[in-house]
Order: sequence, then structure tokens, then C-alpha cells
Amino acid sequence: MKGIVFTEFLDLVEHKFGLEMVDKIIEQSKLDSQGVYTAIGTYEFSEMLQLLQHLSRNTGISIDNLLLVYAEHFFSVLKDSYPDLLNIYTDPIEMIASIENHIHVEVRKIYPDAELPTFEIEERTEQSLIMIYKSSRAMHYFGLGLMNKTFEHFNASASIVLEKIKDDGTEVKFIITKN
Amino acid sequence: MSQNQIDILQRALHREKLARKQAEKILESKSLELFKISEELKDVNNKLTSLLDEKTIQLQGVFENINDAYIVIDIRGNVVKMNDTAVHLFGYNIKEAPINVKSLVYKEDYKYAINSFKKLLSNGSFLNYTARIFTKKKQIKWVHINASVIYNKQKKPIAAQGIIRDITKAKFSANLIEKQKKALEKSNNELQEYAHIVSHDLKSPLRSIDSLVNWIKEDNKEKFDVDTLKNFKLIEATLEKMEQLISDILDYSSIDSTNRTQQIDLQKLVLDLQKTLFIPTNISIKIHNKLPTIKGDKTKFQQLFQNLIVNAIKFNDKEKGFIEIDFLEKQRYYQFSVRDNGIGIDEKYHQSIFKIFHSLDAKKGSSGIGLSIVKKIITLFNGDIWVKSKLGEETTFFFTLKKQ
Amino acid sequence: MYKRLNVLLIEDDAIEVMKLNRTISKLQLNHTITEANNGSDALKVLNETEELPDIILLDLNMPKINGIEFLSIIKRSEKLKHIPTVILTTSSHKKDLLECYKIGVSGYVLKPLKYDDYVLKIEKVLAYWSINQLIEF
Repeated sequence: MKGIVFTEFLDLVEHKFGLEMVDKIIEQSKLDSQGVYTAIGTYEFSEMLQLLQHLSRNTGISIDNLLLVYAEHFFSVLKDSYPDLLNIYTDPIEMIASIENHIHVEVRKIYPDAELPTFEIEERTEQSLIMIYKSSRAMHYFGLGLMNKTFEHFNASASIVLEKIKDDGTEVKFIITKN
Repeated sequence: MSQNQIDILQRALHREKLARKQAEKILESKSLELFKISEELKDVNNKLTSLLDEKTIQLQGVFENINDAYIVIDIRGNVVKMNDTAVHLFGYNIKEAPINVKSLVYKEDYKYAINSFKKLLSNGSFLNYTARIFTKKKQIKWVHINASVIYNKQKKPIAAQGIIRDITKAKFSANLIEKQKKALEKSNNELQEYAHIVSHDLKSPLRSIDSLVNWIKEDNKEKFDVDTLKNFKLIEATLEKMEQLISDILDYSSIDSTNRTQQIDLQKLVLDLQKTLFIPTNISIKIHNKLPTIKGDKTKFQQLFQNLIVNAIKFNDKEKGFIEIDFLEKQRYYQFSVRDNGIGIDEKYHQSIFKIFHSLDAKKGSSGIGLSIVKKIITLFNGDIWVKSKLGEETTFFFTLKKQ
Repeated sequence: MYKRLNVLLIEDDAIEVMKLNRTISKLQLNHTITEANNGSDALKVLNETEELPDIILLDLNMPKINGIEFLSIIKRSEKLKHIPTVILTTSSHKKDLLECYKIGVSGYVLKPLKYDDYVLKIEKVLAYWSINQLIEF
């Protein structure tokens, strides 16, 4: 997993819960990296999983909700770092529908070894989109957070319903309806 | 600050330090990678540059060494580049004085040249422009030009290049051949006419002699004895033979020109011949395989079969004579045969019989031209003729006509 | 009823002229033969005569105006183009044959070698034309 996901995550934890919480979840986890992360490095996904689990346990907030909040924060990181990527879109549905064919393609140009989820489009209209999320990471709430922020970015809102196809969350149907 | 807080801060600081070092290490290796890539790029670039040089030298070589003249002109027609062949061809050298292609165009071809140049600019190229040019030494030369427009990156035409071949000699030869061909055709036609006139002029006295002989006979009916009458008969027979000879020579000389567009039903042609020819009652004619319909010239085919059939009749000495005509279709040609049970031909004559004036039996009222007419017609249709014979028993003439 | 024909023979060969005359008398026909040695003589005859011939027998190979030229001239003339013209020639040249029919001839007779054959042919030609309804000039 790309280092920026860890550094931004720990920054957010420090911002919301203080440096003690950062230190706590690192100390509680068994990390090969010893909690030393740089944005340009690459680290095991299992480390992120441990950090999330310990944060959830310490704060009483579910992992899904943590991911949701983190994703909303991460969207602003993306917006600041890659404004051009967002500027070419005028509509949130259009942008979300092009994750697979455009955004991920661009991501791979910068990070050839990035492991990305897949978003298959099942149905698309002007106002709605149905996609199937597939990833062994089961980080569908991360996706949900990014999508919420996407609508917000375009001054729009949507109701997004998640239906788990697999119980472990590795395959989830996103039903997005623009308000 | 509690000890706990200090510990937390120290650990955080430690992590930050390590993270910085890690980042430095990663960046170090990345920059090394970049350096290597840039070295590789330099190397590739060098290779490309030398390849480009090599190609440029090759092109220069082609430009200098092609046998054809090569020029580049700007869109106003000013020559901006020319190779040695071009200098040699036109007599002008742009290194000495500027030259515009307009001044090279031969006056009568000016319109053609202007139109071609317009076409070049609108279509991007022209092929096979053939016209005359005026060289510096005021010589007229025929040239053949292929040209194309050179565009800049904005796709605007900036120049044109042309390869010019001096075809003066070829043009001259072509003209000469054309002239000679026409002269030959004319002389052939004249010869034809001449042959007809000669044949007429030769036949007229024969007719007159025949008439005069007949009148002498009529006027002196009771006065001549048997021998004299017999001699008169001989005169008449000689006249006939003479006339046949003249007709045959005319036929022979007319074979060269042929019309091959007609579809000729040879079966019908031979059956029709049987109706018009005099066939003695003791001789029967049979066609074994139905003859084909082929492309050719009706008169020629008539002459061909007529000569062979007439010969077969003429040289038949049997009580019951027969003539058998047969046909075989081969892949590339038709093969025909005419067989008879006549006197036969000695093998030593099998070649010479097809030569003109080689009749084997002068008494039979034969001019010796018949088989040479046959041979000439067959040759005209890219065929062949040969003979098989048993002396005193039979003769078969085989001949082929090539399929079109 | 056979009509007595007024025949114009255009022929440069003296013996050929004799031949036709002799044939007429041999066959005991009473046709009138007017002779012209070539095309220009024939035109003179046609211009001067009061009575135009019923038919013309025309040789092709002649000096001055040859047969085909003569034929073209009379076929262009309103006064003469109606006269039936029969070619009497040695030329079996296809070109001549086609040319004559193209300009317009009433017949094309090849002169045979043998006198006897000639007599037979002339007998038939004259017999044919003497039973035809001819234009009275």
C-alpha cells in the first residue's frame, strides 16, 4: 500500500485524536515498519488494517466509519495534489463512472505497482449509477467517502446505498442516485 | 510535561527521523535510477544521431548519383536544389545563376506545363509528365517527370521535388518505329493492291487467248484434224493451269493479313465445302469427331480445309477412295487430321512438300502452292503441320491451331 | 417477250469487246451494243446520246477514269443514276466487290477463264435484264 495512505492517515489521527493516539496505535500494532512511514514508500496493507483496528478499539468508532472519515480527508489530499485530474470533469456521475477507465489508468502511470480495486459499471443513466466494487481489501467505505466528497465537490448530493454481495465486503454493489 | 508525554514525543521524533532517512534512501535510489535512464537516453540519442548522419549521407549519395536529374523548386518555380545530372541535362547551374523552371519549358508545351504544375499543387503529385524542354544551349529535349510537393509541418506546400529523365532518344526511337510501322503497313497495302492488279493483268491475256482459240475452233469447225483439236485442248488446259497458278499466288500473298474476331463453326464450314467442291462419286468424306467452333478468319479456314481436301481427292488412285477428317481437343491447341487412302508421299518429301512450288506431280494440275498456303495459314494461327504416310497406301496430314 | 436491250459496254480490252459482240451474235440476240473504251469516253457517249442505254456493262480496271470512279460519277448524276449497272470484271478482290455494292451496282459478274463459261454467263445476264421492266428514257 502506498505510503501516502499511511502518512495522511496518521496525520488525520493526530489532528483528530492527538499525538498520543498516534503513538498508542503504533505501539499496540506489530508493524514491520516500526510505524515509520514516508509518502513515497510502500508498506504492507496488513499494517493499515492493524492501525485501523486499534484506532477503532481505542475510540469506539467502527472501522467503516473511520474509513469513511479518512476517505473524505483523502479526497482533499487528491484535490490539492492532482487538481487537473478533477478539473476535466463537470459532473460527479461522469467522474465516478470513469474511475476504472481514466482515473485508475492515470494512477498507474504514477504508481505502476499500485494495487487498485475494480469498479464495474452495471447500469448508468444521467442521474444514477450502479457499480460493483471488488477488492480483497474490503475498503468499500473508503470508496463511499471519496464518492460523497466527489458530489460535494460538484455542489451536488446523492444517496448512495451499499449492498454487500459478499459478506466480507470484498464485493459490494454501489447504488448511486443523484438528488 | 509528564515523562509519558516526553516518551511519546521522543518516539514520534525518532519515527520522523527514520522516516526522513527512509525517504532520503528512496529518493537516492530513485535519482540513481533516473541518472541511469538519462545515461541510457544519451546513448540512444547518440546512436540515433549517427544513424541520422548515415542516412543523410546515403540520401546525399542517392541525390548525387541517381542517373536521373533531380531538382527541388519553390512554389514559384525557382530551382533551389539540383544534382549533377540535372546540371548536365539543363545546362544551367544554380550555383552560377538562379533559374526558374518556366524558362525551361518548350513553348508549345507551355499550357500543358502550367496545367501540370497546377495539378501538382492541388493533388500533391503528378506522374508521367512527358514534354519537351529547352536547354541552355537551345537544344530541345524530351523529358519524363514524376514530381511531388513538399509540405511544412503546418501542411502548407513549400516546395516541390521532381525526378526528370531524359527520354529524347527513346522518344526518337519510338517515333521512328511508329513511322516505320506506318510505312510498312502502307507498303504492305500497296503490295496487296499490286498483287491484285498483277493478277488481273496476267489473267486478262489468258482469257483472251482462250476466247481466240475458241473462235478459231468455231470458225474452222470442219477443217481441223484430230491432232490439231487435241493440241487446242492442251492449250486450253495449259491456260487453266496458268490461271490457277496466278490465283494461288494471289492467295498466298494475301494470307499475312488476318481477322481473328469471328467465331467460326468448322463443322459447318467443312460440310459447306463438301457441297461446293467437286467430289467424284468413288470418294467418300467422313468427319469422325464433330469439329469445334473457334475464333479465326473464315476465308483462311476455308482455304486451309479446301486445299487439304482437294489434294486428297486429286491424289487418290483407289477404286473406293475415302477421306477421313478428325479432331482432338488438347489443352493448349486443337489438333486436326485429314487422312486419305491415296497414292501416299515418300518420306523424303515430307518436309519439302510445304515449300512453295514443290508439287510432286506436275501432271495432276497442281500449282505446287496449295500446301504452302496451308502451311502459311497454320503458321499464322501459331500452329504446326506434319504428315504421316505409307507410300501407295495412305497419307494423313496432322495440323494444330493454337487456342486463343 | 424479250425486250431488245440497248447495252453500253465500257471495256478497254479490244478482245473483250469482240467477245461480247461475238457472244451476242452466237446467241442470235438482237441487242444493240454501244462501245466505250474507258470511263471518260463512256461519259462522253452518255452526254451526247439522245437515247440512254438500258443497262451498262462495266469493267473495273481501265485507264483514265477507272470503273469505280465512273460508277461514282454516274451514281451522283440525277440523269444517269437510274441506269442498271453490272460490273464485268476479273477482280475477285473483296475490297472492289464491297466498294461497288456500297456505291450501288445492279450486279457483279466475274469474267471466267473459259470462253464457253463466259457465253453462259452473258446469256443469263442479258436474259435477266431483258425480262425486267426498264425505265424508258
